[in-house]
Amino acid sequence: MNPETHERACHLIDAWQVEGISSPEREWLETHLSECPACQARARANEHVLLALRSNSVTVDPALVSTTQARVRWRSRELRENRARLRALWISCGLSWLLGAVTAPLLWQAMAWLGRQFELSPVIWITGFALFWVAPATVVGALVAWKHSHPSGLKNDRQAWERRI
Amino acid sequence: MGNSLCLFVNSMEQENREIAHGLRRRDPDLLDELIARYQYRLPRYLLTLTGNRQAAEDLFQETWIRVLEKGHLYNPQWRFETWLFSIARNLAIDLLRRHEPESLDALLHPGDERPARDWSDNKSPTPLETVVADQRAERVRVALRHLVPEAREVLVLRFQEDMDLSEIAEVVGAPLSTVKSRLYRGLEAFRNLLEEEEA
Repeated sequence: MNPETHERACHLIDAWQVEGISSPEREWLETHLSECPACQARARANEHVLLALRSNSVTVDPALVSTTQARVRWRSRELRENRARLRALWISCGLSWLLGAVTAPLLWQAMAWLGRQFELSPVIWITGFALFWVAPATVVGALVAWKHSHPSGLKNDRQAWERRI
Repeated sequence: MGNSLCLFVNSMEQENREIAHGLRRRDPDLLDELIARYQYRLPRYLLTLTGNRQAAEDLFQETWIRVLEKGHLYNPQWRFETWLFSIARNLAIDLLRRHEPESLDALLHPGDERPARDWSDNKSPTPLETVVADQRAERVRVALRHLVPEAREVLVLRFQEDMDLSEIAEVVGAPLSTVKSRLYRGLEAFRNLLEEEEA
């Protein structure tokens, strides 16, 4: 047998496992294998390799599944609570904006009246009016920034829970 | 044959849709079931990638947290396990990138002594069977460890996880031709290494 035949057989032996081969190729290979001990050995070596790979087992911590399930449930709860908090924040923002829009003309008149009473320049009472609008957003922004820089009670709860398990 | 294949594909699509629906709702029961279903295969793949049991276990947990958080991105047209293994792979790559050389070296040389059980075998083997199996498994592990990571990964996905070539290409993010050449080279190298180990 010439080297090209062996080379083709070796390639088909590997290809059979890697990507599959066509029926004519398979027939040709089987015929070749029945006549060629060297290629038979190669095919056996491949089968041995695949058997070794497929029977390769791993050992891991037996509690891993239950710990993972518990952690996923915990995180799921955390996400649900965050979503509820976010919804409440959006609702309060919407209400606050609505209230602000409704009361803006009244506030403007009140500021103008105060300006007249204390004989203030329009720049001052208009600045006061603007600050009155900006102040709540500034306070909320500061609170959110502070909350991000400090661990929440939920995170503390989670750490305590993780220590328990 | 054609009808049964069609039924199989339909049932898989149906299952994928159910998984996608459950993931969007962050259904904890579905996630519990999926975690239990992949409790053998995912750690084995992660162990192949990292070579370290502790890292594989941490990544196993992180993968499922990521599945929970990003579940709405799962497209039921993909097979769930392809998506799952892609997430696990990305997390493993992030972990390996974060580690400094010393830590990376520790990752590649596992040696923790924590009590553990054999996940792939539920029946009780005799002590002799255990010793023989352990020796064989050790030889395979040593041979796998000597392979380049790219070849090791595709061999495991192809022959342990039984993924087809297109799925492997999706998981590893490489063209089909690259996956094939890695598989051929990996198979040859692994065969030689195993022969050396057994000699």
